[in-house]
Amino acid sequence: MNYICALSLTPVLLWSVALYGVAAASVWAWAAASALLCQAALDAASRKLSVLDGSSLVTGLLVATVMPPGAAWYMPVAASAFAIVVARGLFGGYGKNWMNPALAGAAFAFANWPEAMRSYLMPRALSGVDGLSGVSPIGMIRDLDAFGPVGAMEALRQLGYPLSAADGAVTGFLNDVLFLPLGARLPEGYADLMLGLKPGALGDGALIAVLAGSVLLLSLRSIKWRIPLFALVPFVLLARAFGLGLSSEGFMQGDVLFALSGGGVVLASFFMATDPVCSPVRRGAQAAYGLIIGVLFYVFRRLGAFADGAVYAILIANVLCPSLERRLPELARFFKPRGSA
Amino acid sequence: MKNMRGLSRGGVELPRRAPFTHQGIENAYLPIQARVPVPSSFEGRDPGVLVSEGQELREGQLIARADGKGSANMHSPIPGFVRRIERKPGRDGRPSSEVLISLAGAFNISGKRQERYIWKSLNTGDILHIIQDKGVVQASSGKPVYELLHGRLEGGHPRLVINALEMDPYRRVEEALLLERRPALIDACDIVAKVLKPRAIYCLVERGLRKDIVEALTAAAAEAELAIEFRAAPRRYPADMPSIAARQLAEAEGADYLPAEWVMLEPSVLLAVHDAVVLNKAHMEQYVYVGGGAINEARVLKARIGSPIGDLIEECGGFKGQAAAIVINDPLCGWAAADLDEAVDKRTRSVIALSPEEAHRAPSRPCVRCGACVDACPEGLEPYMLYKLIAAGRRDEALERGLGRCSSCAACSWSCWSRLPLVTAFDEAKGAAGA
Repeated sequence: MNYICALSLTPVLLWSVALYGVAAASVWAWAAASALLCQAALDAASRKLSVLDGSSLVTGLLVATVMPPGAAWYMPVAASAFAIVVARGLFGGYGKNWMNPALAGAAFAFANWPEAMRSYLMPRALSGVDGLSGVSPIGMIRDLDAFGPVGAMEALRQLGYPLSAADGAVTGFLNDVLFLPLGARLPEGYADLMLGLKPGALGDGALIAVLAGSVLLLSLRSIKWRIPLFALVPFVLLARAFGLGLSSEGFMQGDVLFALSGGGVVLASFFMATDPVCSPVRRGAQAAYGLIIGVLFYVFRRLGAFADGAVYAILIANVLCPSLERRLPELARFFKPRGSA
Repeated sequence: MKNMRGLSRGGVELPRRAPFTHQGIENAYLPIQARVPVPSSFEGRDPGVLVSEGQELREGQLIARADGKGSANMHSPIPGFVRRIERKPGRDGRPSSEVLISLAGAFNISGKRQERYIWKSLNTGDILHIIQDKGVVQASSGKPVYELLHGRLEGGHPRLVINALEMDPYRRVEEALLLERRPALIDACDIVAKVLKPRAIYCLVERGLRKDIVEALTAAAAEAELAIEFRAAPRRYPADMPSIAARQLAEAEGADYLPAEWVMLEPSVLLAVHDAVVLNKAHMEQYVYVGGGAINEARVLKARIGSPIGDLIEECGGFKGQAAAIVINDPLCGWAAADLDEAVDKRTRSVIALSPEEAHRAPSRPCVRCGACVDACPEGLEPYMLYKLIAAGRRDEALERGLGRCSSCAACSWSCWSRLPLVTAFDEAKGAAGA
């Protein structure tokens, strides 16, 4: 199961390495190596073998997904170590942790290096040079009201946010072949967001790669599918109904594509929220758990100080999980007619 | 033949059935020495052993009399003399006796031409008495058939179901019997129908069973003026377990499921009933499928009770490569054979030697709450939670959460990603709670 998860992360990994080169590969490697080493050390101390079950590898990889490309080596290393040793090892190891270790590691990193964790590199394909840093589109869009009522994409363009050649090609192709007969038109810029041609965290980059991984997870039935469903649908509905904070967005005019393509929401709901250990087993509780995550995604995205609210949304849901499992049946009994089981 | 929708919840998809070609059911060689287990009853009492060491026995002679609920008469499967009577812990851990019989003397049943008893003149009480007297036991549940039938007489007209489903990847006994023992099966149905006066007779078969088998059976039943309705179930484990199969059928028929209204009998049991009533033969033979990846040639054999499974395996060409485990009945909820001297008893329907790849042994890991067991459980239980409660010593809470409903089908153990011995723990806890 863990290896399936690790395998499903490989599209994300490969895509980010393609985008950022060594800057990304080094972060993945540091995070994974640190997680495996820490687990090996714990195993040696407790005299059992669990490095090989793949769970530490997945934790390491998930820690890497929230890291910015080109992060200093100590960031992924420390985050992975915190995840494995504190969030999991101290609670009794694999299967006994009460919050997702990867998210705990991520939260640790966000708290320690708030600036460094949010200074993202421009992908090579966008800037033409390596090492140019930028702010992520969501981060940018936060203080945009100066531009008056414009859509997310126009606002980005006005900020001088670059458009890649790939975007032009993809958007043009889609418009000509798919959308023209339907009478619709895709504005430029979205293809960039989908392909990860924007500054962002490693796992945040390519929505397409994340979706490819999630297809793998779902088809091999290794995740509880209700959780991402109940997390993403309310998030999308809320984003559509109330927007993401742009003054141009009236009721029911929110920019859903933009909402989904940033902040690692999709990756978080498929890969992190579905961590079996900290998510409910009962179906009703799974739905409620997903719902909490989805609503918190939206709240943190709309009101929170930073775009990385997904991590905290899931951590809070993790904490609520045991109560959900215990209390929901009592709640359900309330709504059911008397006499039925 | 009508198709059924399948299990309403739970169940697991097992690997495809092991390939098998029917080449007729053969009689296994007679054992030189038969170990006849005399199992204790559900109430913990042994059937009283009636023979003593050194005594000479005829074929089919009564060697132990049923005593109390759940126990059945035992007969000598071979002529000979009692070599030893041993007491040792049985499969359920309770002490039980085992009679060792050495082959000697003449066959007064097998050697003679079979007489057919005109059973139609018997009344219900007589038939029941014969079934009780001949010690006929249902292989799947281990219950005496007499009790299964007797208990249903008061409750009006039950439904009789011939359960020919075999959902584990190996066993082919019931299928082989449908194929090759048609007249006897129809006779047995007639006999049981006379006792039960059922509202309807169903035959549960697997979807995809050869059409000609079903047609031939329907025709033979029509000749005997029996209306057997065939229902085809999709292949999903554990749809063949009696209670689950009955529930599935009840749902398909739009009837409420009341356990007392459904009498589930397998073709193998019906044949034992037939042999007892028509051929005046005690339950001393068992149809056994011998197969698995480590067996040279899989076959269905008709073996005497008490035959060592090693003999049966030898008759099937012996082992192919190394056998990692030898399993009696089925790999999910059967039991492991201690050695090749383990004897065929009234519950044995198959002997499966698993190759190392099939056995696929691996260590268990901690539970990660993936919920696969919850999805697999046909009873709607939460196996992971029961397991944790039992491990924490809170058996009463586990019972409150429905441990008693567990039918030990092992669908949860099969689906567990962490390979936890869930059912083993449940069986132990249930045993401890029952004692």
